[in-house]
Amino acid sequence: MRLTKILLGAVAAMAMSSAAQAERGADGQVNIIYWQAPSTMNPYLSGGTKELEAASLVLEPLARYDQDGNMVPFLAEDVPTVANGGVSADLTTITWKLKEGLKWADGSAVTAADAVFTWKYCSHPEGGCAQSEKYNDVTGVEAVDDRTIKVTFGVSKPFPYGPFVGAQAPLIQAAQFANCLGAKAPECTDANFGPIGTGPFAVTDFRPNDVISLEANSNYRDPAKPAFAKVTFKGGGDAAAAGRSVLETGEFDYAWNLQLAPDVLANMQAAGKGTVVSSFGTLVERIMINMTNPDPALGDERATAKHAHPFLSDMAVRKALSMAVDRKLLVEIGYGDAGRPTCNVLPAPEIYKSSANDACLVQDIESAKKLLDDAGWVAGGDGVRAKDGKRLSILFQSSTNAVRQDFQALIKQWWSDIGVETELRNIDASVFFGGDPASPDTFQKFFADVEMYANNFDGTDPESYMANWECKQAPRPETQWQGNNMPRYCNADYDALVAEMAKTGDLNERARLAKAMNDKLMQEYIILPLVDRGRVSAHSNTLGGVVLNTWDSELWNAADWHRVKSQ
Amino acid sequence: MTEATAKPLVQVRGLKMHFPIHAGLFQRHVGDVKAVDDISLDILEGETLGLVGESGCGKSTAGRSVLRLYDITDGSIIIDGTDISSVDQDSLRGFRPRMQMIFQDPQASLNPRMTLADIIGEPLDEHERLSKGQRLGRIYELMDAVGLNREFANRYPHEFSGGQRQRIGIARALALNPKFIVCDEPIAALDVSIQAQVVNLLEDLQKQFGLTYLFISHDLSMIRHIATRVAVMYLGKIVELAPRDALYAEPKHPYTQALLSAVPEPDPAREADRKHIILTGDVPSPSNPPDGCNFCTRCPKVMDICRRIEPVFQELDPGRYAACHLFDTKNTTAEPTAGTRT
Amino acid sequence: MFNYTIRRLFLAIPTLFFISLIIFLLLDLAPSDPTANLPLTIPPEVREKIRQSLGLGEPIHIRYLLWCKQFFINEPLNIMEQWFGWDIAGDRLRVLSWQTRSPVVDLIVQRTPQTLWVVGMSYVVGVLIALPIGIISAYRQYSWFDQVGTFISMIGFSVPTFFTGVLMIVVFSVWLGWFPSIYDTTHQVTDWASFWQQIRQMVMPVAVLALFNAAQISRFMRASMLDNLNQDYVRTARAKGLGERTVVLVHVLRNSLIPVVTVIALGVPQVFGGAIITEQVFKVNGLGQLLIISIQGGDLPTVQTLTFIFAFLIVLFNLIADVLYGVLDPRIRYD
Repeated sequence: MRLTKILLGAVAAMAMSSAAQAERGADGQVNIIYWQAPSTMNPYLSGGTKELEAASLVLEPLARYDQDGNMVPFLAEDVPTVANGGVSADLTTITWKLKEGLKWADGSAVTAADAVFTWKYCSHPEGGCAQSEKYNDVTGVEAVDDRTIKVTFGVSKPFPYGPFVGAQAPLIQAAQFANCLGAKAPECTDANFGPIGTGPFAVTDFRPNDVISLEANSNYRDPAKPAFAKVTFKGGGDAAAAGRSVLETGEFDYAWNLQLAPDVLANMQAAGKGTVVSSFGTLVERIMINMTNPDPALGDERATAKHAHPFLSDMAVRKALSMAVDRKLLVEIGYGDAGRPTCNVLPAPEIYKSSANDACLVQDIESAKKLLDDAGWVAGGDGVRAKDGKRLSILFQSSTNAVRQDFQALIKQWWSDIGVETELRNIDASVFFGGDPASPDTFQKFFADVEMYANNFDGTDPESYMANWECKQAPRPETQWQGNNMPRYCNADYDALVAEMAKTGDLNERARLAKAMNDKLMQEYIILPLVDRGRVSAHSNTLGGVVLNTWDSELWNAADWHRVKSQ
Repeated sequence: MTEATAKPLVQVRGLKMHFPIHAGLFQRHVGDVKAVDDISLDILEGETLGLVGESGCGKSTAGRSVLRLYDITDGSIIIDGTDISSVDQDSLRGFRPRMQMIFQDPQASLNPRMTLADIIGEPLDEHERLSKGQRLGRIYELMDAVGLNREFANRYPHEFSGGQRQRIGIARALALNPKFIVCDEPIAALDVSIQAQVVNLLEDLQKQFGLTYLFISHDLSMIRHIATRVAVMYLGKIVELAPRDALYAEPKHPYTQALLSAVPEPDPAREADRKHIILTGDVPSPSNPPDGCNFCTRCPKVMDICRRIEPVFQELDPGRYAACHLFDTKNTTAEPTAGTRT
Repeated sequence: MFNYTIRRLFLAIPTLFFISLIIFLLLDLAPSDPTANLPLTIPPEVREKIRQSLGLGEPIHIRYLLWCKQFFINEPLNIMEQWFGWDIAGDRLRVLSWQTRSPVVDLIVQRTPQTLWVVGMSYVVGVLIALPIGIISAYRQYSWFDQVGTFISMIGFSVPTFFTGVLMIVVFSVWLGWFPSIYDTTHQVTDWASFWQQIRQMVMPVAVLALFNAAQISRFMRASMLDNLNQDYVRTARAKGLGERTVVLVHVLRNSLIPVVTVIALGVPQVFGGAIITEQVFKVNGLGQLLIISIQGGDLPTVQTLTFIFAFLIVLFNLIADVLYGVLDPRIRYD
C-alpha cells in the first residue's frame, strides 16, 4: 500500500512539475500528525500553536528563527541590522528587501505591497487579529519599491523584528485577502482555509479540526524542493496515540509535541520504527525564593518589601538550598529527554546563555552543610538548624501536578539532609496561576517561603523577560498584587541593567546585558533554576531532514524534509 | 352421560409434573415443586369432568400437563387411544387439533398484534389446506358458532370486551374440530353477568359438537352447574373423585367437606344453621409436602396414621373414589403406593 | 395517526425554540472563553479585541436573535440556493464557528459522512448482533449461551470504550499490524482495493462501538422476549399446534420487538451525536469530535448549532418512535 502510494504520488508530482524540476516531489507522500487539530490555516485569526505550525507549511515570513534562535532570511535577502544599514540609527525604522523573482503559489509575483496589506490586515481594529502584538508600535509600512519594505515605528525599537518575522507574522497575499479586512475577515472561509502562500506546500483540501491535504508548491523558489509531492497533516486524538502512530505502527512520519512520561516514550521508541527528538527553548522550571517575610502576623504588610525574610535574606541559606538539589535526578524522574538540568533562568538562545553558573549542576550536600555551619546556622536537637532563635523551616508551595509533587518530595528530602525543615503545599493550577487578587493562594501573592513553577518568554528576545525582576515589578497591594517579580528582588544595579538594555540596539551588547542580569539573579540565588524543559517530537526513521526548532514552527524547514532510502 | 358404557376418551395414569428448583452459585438442583404429584383419572367421552381445588393446588398445571403443554415428569396420558405422554413436541403437533385449551385470561391468551381472523385462522393454516375463501368461510362459521358478529373479523383483541374475547378464545379452540377441550378457569376473569353466557355457550357447543371437557375451576357452584363428575385436588393430588350429585350430596373426604361447607346457600334459612368447617393453617409448600397424607396438617379428623402413611386413592362406592385413611376399614393396612385402581 | 403526527410536528416548533433558548442561555452562563486556549504570550488587550470581533460585546438577547436569524432563515435559504441553483441574493451572514471562522453547517456537512459510516455502521452491526443474542438468550434462559451472553453484555456495558479502543489498537495495530490505528477521513472508495482499505480502517472503531451498542440492545431484547415468552398467548400458540419456530419467531418475536424497535429508534440521534470518545481514540474526527473540540475551544456558535441539531433529532426520533409504536402495536391509538 505504502509503495503504491509513493509511486502514485511521484507520478502525480512529475505530471505537475516541469521537466526542469525533476527532483521536486520525488519522495512521494509524508504523513504528519498533530494531536491537536488545526482549525484554520490563517495564523492571524488564531493564536494557537497548532494553527501557526500548519500554516507555516504554506505561509512564510521575511525571516524565521533557526533551531538556535538565530534569524535566518526566508523571503528577505538578508536580515537588516543597524550594522548593515537596514535598521536606522535611531532604531525607528527597518527596511527589508525581498528576494528576487519570488512567486506566490498561483504564479503571481510577491511584492512589497503584500507586506503593506498584511500589516493593514492584522492591524485593522475590527479584525480581531491574534498576532497584533507583533505589529505593536508600527506607525506605517511602506512599499518603497516592488521589493523594498520599510517599517516605521512610533518609538525607538531596539529589537525591531516583530513584524513579518517568525511563524506568527507571515506574509499573506493581498489579492486573495483584499475583501477580507476587518469585520469581514472571518467570512473569507476559502481564503482562511486555503491561503495562497510562498512556502513549499499548497493546500488542496482543508478539513477544519481534522485533516489537511497539501501538495508541493509548483512555484516554490527552490526548483529542487520540496522532496515530498504530498503532505497529509492529520489532527486529533491524544499525545500517546500520536506517538504510537509514528514510533510503533509507523503509519505517520512525524508527531508533534509528545508530552508523555519518559518511560512511555522510551517503550514506544523501543519498537524501532522512529526516533524521539527534543529541542529546548526558554521554558525553565524554577524555584522562586521569597525575599520578604510571609508571616501572617504581619497582616497587610505580609510578603511586602517592608519586611525582609527572617532567614532567606541570608545568601548563605539560599546558596545552600541550591547546592543541595540534584538537578540531574529531577530531570531523569520528571522529564527524561524532554528536560535537561540548568543553572540559568535564561537558558537560551545560545548567545544569551551564560556559563558562569554551571557549578550548580552537581549536587553537593557536604559543602552546603559547611556553608550553613560557617554562617552560624547550627543544628538543634531535632536536626533543624537555627540561629538567633530563627529556625530554618520552609513552606514550599507549587501547583498541583504529578511531576511537581514528585519534585517537592525529593527536594524536601535533600533539604532535610542539610538541616532544613520543609512543609509542602500544592494548590490547584487554576487558583495558583489564576491571579485573583482576592485569593491568598496565587503565585503572585507568594504567602510562602519558596515556590516552584515554570515560565518562558515568546520569541528570542529576552528584554521584557529579564525586566520581570525589576524592583517595580514586585506584586504588592498597591498593584493589586499584579507583577512578575515574585521574589520581590530589589537591586538598583539590576534595574540599571534593564534600563540600559531598553536603549541598546546592538545584538552582542544586548546579549552581554542579558547575561549579566541572569548571572546577577543566579549568583545571588534569588531564583533557583531546576530544569530546562524542552519540546519532544518524534519522526520515523525513514524521514530525513528534521531539525526540531522551538523558536519558530517545528515545520520550519519542511522544504528540506526527504525520505531516507534503503534503511 | 355417566353410564358405564361410555368409554374413556382420556386416560391419565400416575401423572407427575415436577418443576426443578435450582439454587446456589452453581445452580444445583436442590429439589422439586411437585405441582402435580401422581394423579390418575379417566375422562369419559362427552362428559364434563370438573376439577376443583384452591389456588395453587396444581389444577392448571394438571390441565396443561394433560395436553402436554409441559414435558411431564412421569406417568402416561392416553387421549383417544393415542399415548401422548412421551411423544416429542414436534410429533405431537399433528395431534394438537384433537385437543385444545381455553385459557383463563382471554386478554393475555390472544396475541395482541393479530386480528381476530388471524387468531382463529392461524391453526387452520397450520393444520389444514384451505383456499382463501374456504378459510374465511370457516372463520365466519366459527364466529357465528360462538356468537360473534362477522364484522369483527378484522379487529384486534383489545377492541373487544372480556366476554367477547373469551368467545374468540373458544372459537379459536374449536377451529380444528377438537374432541377434547381443557377449559382452564375460562370464566374466572369475567364479570358475573358474562360468566353465565359463556358457560351456556360452552354447554351448547358441547352438545353441538360432541365435545369432552376437562373444566378447571375453583368455583364450586359453577362446577356443580356444568360438570358431570367432579375431581377435587389438594396439593398436587386428587383427594376425591365422584359423580357430581353424589359428591355435593355427601362429600366423603374431609377436604371436600370443608370446601363444600364454604359454598354459600342461596336459602338464608338453611344458610343460617349450616355448619361451616373452618380449616386452619396454610397449604403446605408443594416443594416440601408433609409426610403421610398431604392434608394431615389441616385435617379436622386427622389420625396418627395420617402423619405416617400416605392414603390410597380407592374406590369406596361404584364411581366414587377418595384417598383418606377414614375409609381404610376394608383393607386395614394401607398400601403406600397410591393410584392403584381396580 | 396522520392528524396526530401533524399535531405533534406543530407542537415541536415551540418546543424546539424553547430548547434553543435554553441551550443558548446555558452556554452563555457556563464559564467559557474562546480566547482561553491561546498561548499565554498573547496579551489581554489582544484577547479583548478578538472577543469583540466575535460579537461577544453585544447583549445576550441580540446575540440569541442573531443566531436564530442566521440558523432559521439564512441557513435554509442558503441550502435552497445550493439545491435548486436559485439566487435569492442578499448578503446573508451564516452561522460562523469562532474557532475555524467558517460556516458551522458546512463543518457539520463535512463531518457527517464519517460519523454515519463509523458510528452508524456500528449501530447497525450492534443491532444485528444484539437481536439474535437477545432472542436466543431469552429462549434458552440460564443456559450457558445465556450466561456467556450476559457476561459479554456486562463487559460491553461496563468497560469504557476508551479502554477497549486502546486495547484493540495495541493488539491489532501495534502487535499484529492488521488495521490502521488512525482513521483516514479523506479516503475515497473508488475500487475494490480502496473499499477493502475502508473496511480495514472501520473494523476497530465499529467493533468497539458495536460491542457497546449490542450489549445494551441485547439486554432489552432479552428482557422483552422473556416478558412475552411467559404470556398466555404463547401457550395458546403452542396449543394451536404451531411449530416452535412459528411460536418464537412470529408470535413472541413480533410482540417483543415493539419496545425494542422504539428503543432502537430513540438511539438513532446518538448516532448523529457521534461517539465522542471512540472518535477521539481512533481519530475518526466526526461530529462527536467536532462537538468536544468546540466545547474545549469555547466555540459557542458551533456548540449551540450542534446541540440544537441533536435536540431536533431527538424530538424527531421521539416522534418517530411514538408513531412506530402506533404502527406496530394495534393496541395503541393516537386519534
